Amino acid sequence: MRVGLISATALLVGMVPGLALALNEAPSLAEQVAAGSLPPVEERLPASPEVITPLNEVGTYGGTLRRVLGGSNDHNSILRIVSPQGLTRWKADFSAVIPNVAESWDVNEVGSEFTFHLREGMKWSDGHPFTADDIMFFVEDLLHNEEFYPNPPARFVVDGETMTAEKVDDHTVTLKFAAPYGTFLTELATPLAQEPVLWAKHFCQQFHPKYNPDVQASVDATEAVEDWPSLFRLNCGEVEAPNRWANAERPTLDPWIVTGDGYSAGSTQVVMERNPYFWQVDTDGNQLPYIDTLEMNVAVDNQTIVLEAIAGNIDMQRRRIDNLSNKPVFAENADKAGFEILNMTNSSANVMAIHFNHTHKDPVMRELLRNKDVRVALSLAIDREEIIDIVYQGQGEPYQIGPRPDHVLYNEQLGRQYTEFDPDRANELLDAAGYAERDSEDYRLLPDGRRMAFNIQYTGIEQPDWGDALEIIAQHWQDVGVEINTGSVERSIYYSRGEANEHDIMVWGAPGGLDPTLSPRDVISVHPQASWYAIPWARWYLSGGTEGEEPTPSMKERLALYDAFKKEADQEKALDIFRQIHQIAADEFEIIGVSLAPDLVGVVNKNLRNVPDQIPASWMYPDPGPTLPQTYFYAG
Amino acid sequence: MIWRYIVKRIIWMVPFLFAVSVVAFLLIQAPPGDYLTTYIAKLGESNEVLDQATIDNLRRRFGLDQPLYVQYLKWVANLLQGDFGMSFEWRQPVSDLVWERMGLTFMLSFATLLFTWAVAFPIGVYSAVKKYSIGDYVATTIGFIGLATPNFLLALILMYIGVVYFGTDVGGLFSNEYKNAPWSMGKVIDLLKHLWLPVVVLGTSATASLIRIMRANLLDELSKPYVDTARAKGLSEFWLIMKYPVRVALNPFISTIGWVLPNLVSGAVITAIVLSLPTAGPLMLQALLSQDMFLAGAFVLLLSSLTVIGMLISDILLVLLDPRVKYE
Repeated sequence: MRVGLISATALLVGMVPGLALALNEAPSLAEQVAAGSLPPVEERLPASPEVITPLNEVGTYGGTLRRVLGGSNDHNSILRIVSPQGLTRWKADFSAVIPNVAESWDVNEVGSEFTFHLREGMKWSDGHPFTADDIMFFVEDLLHNEEFYPNPPARFVVDGETMTAEKVDDHTVTLKFAAPYGTFLTELATPLAQEPVLWAKHFCQQFHPKYNPDVQASVDATEAVEDWPSLFRLNCGEVEAPNRWANAERPTLDPWIVTGDGYSAGSTQVVMERNPYFWQVDTDGNQLPYIDTLEMNVAVDNQTIVLEAIAGNIDMQRRRIDNLSNKPVFAENADKAGFEILNMTNSSANVMAIHFNHTHKDPVMRELLRNKDVRVALSLAIDREEIIDIVYQGQGEPYQIGPRPDHVLYNEQLGRQYTEFDPDRANELLDAAGYAERDSEDYRLLPDGRRMAFNIQYTGIEQPDWGDALEIIAQHWQDVGVEINTGSVERSIYYSRGEANEHDIMVWGAPGGLDPTLSPRDVISVHPQASWYAIPWARWYLSGGTEGEEPTPSMKERLALYDAFKKEADQEKALDIFRQIHQIAADEFEIIGVSLAPDLVGVVNKNLRNVPDQIPASWMYPDPGPTLPQTYFYAG
Repeated sequence: MIWRYIVKRIIWMVPFLFAVSVVAFLLIQAPPGDYLTTYIAKLGESNEVLDQATIDNLRRRFGLDQPLYVQYLKWVANLLQGDFGMSFEWRQPVSDLVWERMGLTFMLSFATLLFTWAVAFPIGVYSAVKKYSIGDYVATTIGFIGLATPNFLLALILMYIGVVYFGTDVGGLFSNEYKNAPWSMGKVIDLLKHLWLPVVVLGTSATASLIRIMRANLLDELSKPYVDTARAKGLSEFWLIMKYPVRVALNPFISTIGWVLPNLVSGAVITAIVLSLPTAGPLMLQALLSQDMFLAGAFVLLLSSLTVIGMLISDILLVLLDPRVKYE
């Protein structure tokens, strides 16, 4: 009789309305429930938790995932493994955005209003309900508060108007813009767009003057804090800062939450424990995450992290140790230390982009660099295979810029035109372009009698391989009568020279291999600190035509297309717009590259399951977050 | 007499530290750009674009939009109230960050000092007394190697050997289970187990140079007439050497105390980075690199104060040890 009663009760509480799953929880949480210190799992989870289909198999609970943080200021390493829990997230293959904290959404016809449906009964990590009020708190009390945001972040502003919000009911909220904003859902999946669901109103309102009239007293009592926004950020965290992981009291929606002092300058180790209120389950109804604990030691030197990896002290990581040159030492120690090599697809298009300054202050140089034949000649003069063999251990293939070959937006012309090595053709082109005269050392002369010589700036401390490659390129270009003087400069000097538009040629990384629509700066001049081929054009675009310099008609056409892209809510049409942009950029051939960026490497414990074989490595896709580390588990 | 001297020195510290604050502020601001340009550059490396609105917000929040002298005056005014400001990079109060690191830094430095003395003193005396013996040559050779090997390289080699051949954990001062644990007997023992490596690495070159100094000083003294006199009076050889020439030759040991305190903060930064030591050096370096003005400024001020205090202590000790040194 007694046995029957217990099982009947178990059956009752085990069934969740609307979901034919019996919920399970980690043994450590079950103990707390039995001891009465935690409500039962059915009450902790939303009425309809998100059901995650694990990559390979349903896992088992337990274990610790060990990673190493790279010294101070590696807070984004924590963000990457915990994953930014925003309203939307990337699909694991980085191809589209899907609902995350929001259960679903509706978009109005023009794409200017986004209605998000939240999960009923979803809770913050302290057990307090997460509702539409939390999003309203962000929009009305923070985003529209001039003390908190003197200027609202650009991702929430369209046509000069800041996003507004309307609460439909406790679990439905509509975010509204002044004009169509087709890329908003994608934007919300990027790592720094988490604000709408970052701050728990019930906790954070104590630091807001609207809800706590005595907030000034707390401000005065706290060292180094001068106003309430500082106090708010110190306690509630902010998106891009270590303080976000320094307060164990702060409620979150993350799978793991920090313990103790969290991450601060004195930390030697950051430990995170499972969030008992995490709102995802697997297909068998097991509450995620599987792994109990994240343990992240702090090591400052990258070589030390490599040592930790080969000692078998890292369970999954590529950050700070992903250079291809580490692959041999990983391979040598993999069996002994019990790990496998983790393959990461580089999200960059190229190992290095060579930016010719199309807006050069010197008219003679400008004419030279704006001549497409000259750029073609300089590209043909480079023996890319030689550079790949000598500098990049034979890993890579001759490439220019643009989406990688397996990407849906791949444009063969943009990626592969003029990558063959043809110094004779290069000489012909340069002669025909009017630069046939040579001086006594056999270098070509410009029309005003100066030698055809370029100063090339690069940041050699961060990227020593660029210096090695440039040394070889210098030889190649010398063979066609062009001199280059390469200068490795300190990063802040690099930036100040580039922003002052004082460069002939700059070398910089080339993103956009896997994330062409998110990092389009090499095909459209949109980035004032990285579109080095035309900084004044970028200023012109960003200032709406009041600053900088008017771009060429071809670039203006692309910028107009980009504006249309940002408004287009239909994913397919949006991609078509980008195909047009890429085609125009391919015809224009403004900058050149050397080699398709090779895969990056990392290590992964050989007993860790549900880890994909190949993971995109990118910041916009903050790897490995979107592969859902909460579904990783240890076999056996 | 001595108290007047000490008070005078302490009073002089005030204008000195004021001057240091000006120099520190200017030096930290001297490189082109400010914290925000470094920050934007760092984000740029991971292809993140910071929109102009956010940049303006941060610039205003950190007061970087104000003229330099206003920034300086605000900083000093807060300093006088004991408020070191907010670290730009950590977005946490500076004083928390600095003091968190100082305890272990003190401990490590004194352990290193003791190691240095414990090794350098007997070897130095031995190689002076037994000049040109085999033992002297061995000590000299090891000493010069110790002096010539960069500390961080020694650290990397020892760590590599440790990992590959002995399977020990690398770097840090604690095992994993003790890293966040409160202090206990187990934690102290664990600390001692890890301490020897950084102490040996950090102490080698100082030991080597102290051996050389001790040997040279003692050799000068050993040939002096008072040594012969003492020997003629029949003192035992050990007592004779310890009591007179060694005492004179000890001055450089005492002088080094002055440098121990500032070394707490700035010493052996690279070694600390390689060994992942939670000491002040790496944090200061990072603050300087990122132009985190308040954090770096706090460290520079601390460093200068410690130098002044350290020099004062070693001057006083010198007076006590060697009556020939005067306060004047």
